[in-house]
Amino acid sequence: MIRHNVPAGFEPKIIGFLCNWCSYAGADKAGTAQIAYPPNIHVVRVMCSGRVDPQFVLQAYHKGADGVLILACHPGDCHYKEGNYRTAQRNRLLKLLLGQFGIEEERCRLDYVSAGEGERFARIVTEMVESLRRLGPLATNHHGKEA
Amino acid sequence: MRVGVYFCNCGINIAGRIDPEQVKARLQDMPEVDYFETCGFLCSEDGKRFLAEDIRNKEPARVVIAACSPRDHEANFMRVLESAGLNPYLFQMANIREQVAWVTSDPERALSKGVSAIRSAIARVRLHEPLEKQKLDIIPDVLVIGAGPAGLKAALTLAAADRRVVLVEKDPVIGGKPVRYEELFPAMECAPCMLEPLMGDVFHGEHADRVELLTQTNVVEVTGYYGNFIVKLRQQPRHVDPVQCIGCGECVAACPASAPNEFNCGMSERKGIDFPFAGALPYAPYLDHQTCVRGKGDECRLCKDACPLGPDIIDLDAGELVKERNVGAIIVATGAGLYDCSALPNLGYGRLPNVYTSYEFERILSSTGPTGGELVTKEGEPPGSVAIIHCVGSLDDGHVPYCSGVCCQYAFKFDHLLRSRLPDIRITHLYRQLVLPGKDGTTLYREAVTSHAVDLIRYENISEFSLYSCNSGNGGTIISVGQYGKLNADLVILCPAIAANQGAATLAEVLDVSRDRWGFFEELHGRLDAAQSKLMGVYLAGTCQSPMDIQQAMQQGMAAAGYVLAGLIPGRKLEIEPITAAVQTDRCGGCRVCIAVCPYKATGFDEESRKSAVNPILCHGCGTCVAACPAGAMEGHHFTFAEITAEQEEALG
Repeated sequence: MIRHNVPAGFEPKIIGFLCNWCSYAGADKAGTAQIAYPPNIHVVRVMCSGRVDPQFVLQAYHKGADGVLILACHPGDCHYKEGNYRTAQRNRLLKLLLGQFGIEEERCRLDYVSAGEGERFARIVTEMVESLRRLGPLATNHHGKEA
Repeated sequence: MRVGVYFCNCGINIAGRIDPEQVKARLQDMPEVDYFETCGFLCSEDGKRFLAEDIRNKEPARVVIAACSPRDHEANFMRVLESAGLNPYLFQMANIREQVAWVTSDPERALSKGVSAIRSAIARVRLHEPLEKQKLDIIPDVLVIGAGPAGLKAALTLAAADRRVVLVEKDPVIGGKPVRYEELFPAMECAPCMLEPLMGDVFHGEHADRVELLTQTNVVEVTGYYGNFIVKLRQQPRHVDPVQCIGCGECVAACPASAPNEFNCGMSERKGIDFPFAGALPYAPYLDHQTCVRGKGDECRLCKDACPLGPDIIDLDAGELVKERNVGAIIVATGAGLYDCSALPNLGYGRLPNVYTSYEFERILSSTGPTGGELVTKEGEPPGSVAIIHCVGSLDDGHVPYCSGVCCQYAFKFDHLLRSRLPDIRITHLYRQLVLPGKDGTTLYREAVTSHAVDLIRYENISEFSLYSCNSGNGGTIISVGQYGKLNADLVILCPAIAANQGAATLAEVLDVSRDRWGFFEELHGRLDAAQSKLMGVYLAGTCQSPMDIQQAMQQGMAAAGYVLAGLIPGRKLEIEPITAAVQTDRCGGCRVCIAVCPYKATGFDEESRKSAVNPILCHGCGTCVAACPAGAMEGHHFTFAEITAEQEEALG
C-alpha cells in the first residue's frame, strides 16, 4: 500500500448507504438521543442494503469519497429477509476488487446497525472517520475530474 | 426544472443550529432552485396548509423539504403534495434534524453538512419520475386448505364477513386431529363436543351457504397472484351423497370387504364402505377403492342395494372430479404430523407390542377409537403400569432441536385420564425438559405431582434408553435408562415432536411458497407476520406453520382471515405501491440472476421472449435484484442508478 502524507486539517468524506428499516432508523436514533458524531458522512437512504450496487461504491471513490460505509440490518433481521446476506456476499467480491485497485480495506466498511442502536451508529462513524484521518485522502482520487 | 425548497425551522430544533438565511445563500448557484421558503413547523396543521397553498400558487416541478427524518413525516408531506396537485414522488426530503442539527456540535460544520444534504436532495429530485399506484381488480373469495381447527375458524370467520370460501380437506372427515381425541388439555373438555359447533356451522350454520366444503380434495395447481388466483382442485369420489345420506350404516353392514382403519392407525378394521370413525362429519360413509372388491373386478353392489333411501345415494361409478375456482387469497391450514419414531429404534416403536405414539394412544382413549375407549393393552388387559416418555426427538440436535410446546400438557392429560379410569395404575413420566406455558399450563401437572401413583424422572439423553420385552411374555416392556436403572411398564406412550406433514412438500411446490428447515411452511416474519407466508396472498394458520396448541391454531386462523379481510375488500381495488423493480427488456440478457436473488418470487422468466419480468404485485421494492443485474437492465423505481449517483455526486462535490 502506498503511504500518503496526510495533509494538515484533512477531513475525510464518507458516503454511507443505510437501509431504511434498521440502519437509517439507527442513525435517526443517534439524532433523537443527540449523540454527536463527526459530520463527515453523507447518508444515502436505500430501502435495503441489497440495493447497494458495487458501482455506487466505485463511483463514490471516483467522485471524491475517502470511504464508503454500508450499513445493513443485523443478520437474520433483514426487513426483506435476506437482502443483507446478498450485500455481505457482494461485499466480499467488492473488497477483492478494491484491493486490486490499491484501495485500502478500511475505506469500505460493511457493518450492521439496528433501529435501536444509535450509539453504535455514532461509534461506527466516529471510528471510520478516525481511521480515514490516519489513512489520508484516497490516492486514486481525482475528485471527479477525468484524467 | 423548477425546484421549490422548503426549510422547516422545527422551532429552534433546526434553525437554532442551521441558519436558513445562510442555507439560502449557499443554494444561489443552483439555477434549478426556483424559491426557498421557511416555516416554523411544517408538520403542523398550519404548516401543511401553508405547504399545500404555496405549492398550488407557485406550481414547482419538484419539491425538496429540509426537515426531520423522512421516517417521521415523508408520508404526511406526500399526501400534502398530492392534495396540492403534485405527484407525491416528485419530492425528496433532506434529513437535517436527526442526522445533522441534533448530532453536529460545531455550528459551521452543521451548516455545511445541512447545505450538502439539501443540495444532494435537489440534485436527486430533478431526476425523479412521477409514479402512480397501480390499481387492480380483486376477487374477494378465499381458498382455505385444511378443515382442522385453524382452517374451520378461518373459513367461518370469512363467511361471517360475507366472503365466499372454498374449504378443501384431503380426508373424508373434517375437524383435523383434535376431533379424533377424547378430551383436551387443560380443562378436560370433550374434543368432538368442543369442535361440533364449528363443524356444524360449516354444514348448516347461518353462513353455511357461503362455504363450499370439498372433502377428499387436493390442490393440484395454482396460477395467478394475490387478488386473483386460479386454483385447480382434484376431488376423489366419496361414492355416497353426503347431503342425502342419513348415516344409518346399512351399507356398511352389507359390505363384504374390510381393511385396517387408518383413522385408528390400523388398530382396528373398517369396511370397504364405512365411516372413518363414529361421529365423523360429514355424517356419511365413504367408499375406499383400495378395499372395495369392485376394484378387483368384482361386480359387487351390496352396499347400493342395502341403502334404504334408494339407488340414488350411492354412486358406484362416480369418478374423480377436477374443479377450478377463482380466489383472491389462499389460507394454508394443513396441520402437522408427529416425528417419525422409527428414527429412534432404541425406543422399540413398531417392534414392541405395547409401545404407542401419543396419537395412537389418543385413539385408544377415544370412545370412537379401536377399543371403543376401553383402556387395554394389546393382550386385552388393563395396564397396571404406564411409562410416558416425553421429548421424543425434541430438544435433540440429532433429531429436532425445538420443543413442540404441547406434549408435556397432553402427557399430563393422559396421566389424569389413566388415573381416573384405572385407580390402581402407576405412571412414570420420563422427560428431558418440562415445558408448561400459559396461565392454565400447570393445572394437570400439579395434579399429577401430588399423586402417589406418579413418578417423574428427568433424563439427559434419549439415546441412553433401551426398551425390550419382558421375559414373562405378557406384552410388558422393560425400559432401561442408563444410570437410572430399569423399570417395567405394561404400556409405553411416546410423545414425539410435532413435525411437518408429509404432504407439505408437494403443496409448497404447488403454491410456490417456501418451507423452513424443519419443513413447516415459512412465515413472512416470526413475530410480526407469522400468519403470512412469504408469497403475497398466501396465509398460514395452525401447525402447518409451527408446532402450537389448539388455542394458538384458532387464533392464527382468525389472524389469517383478518389479513384477507383487511387486504381484499370487495369493490375496492388492490393498490400496488409503485416503488418496485422493473425490467428494461431491451437490456435483459436472460441470465436470471434477478430470479435467484428475489426473496418474494416476484421475478419470473418469460420463456417466449427469454427475458425476466417483475410482477409488481409481488415485488416489495427492496432493490436487491436491481443491484444484482449484471446488465443494468433492472430498474428500481424511485431508487434508480441515476438518482442515487446524482445524490452522492452532489454530496461529494
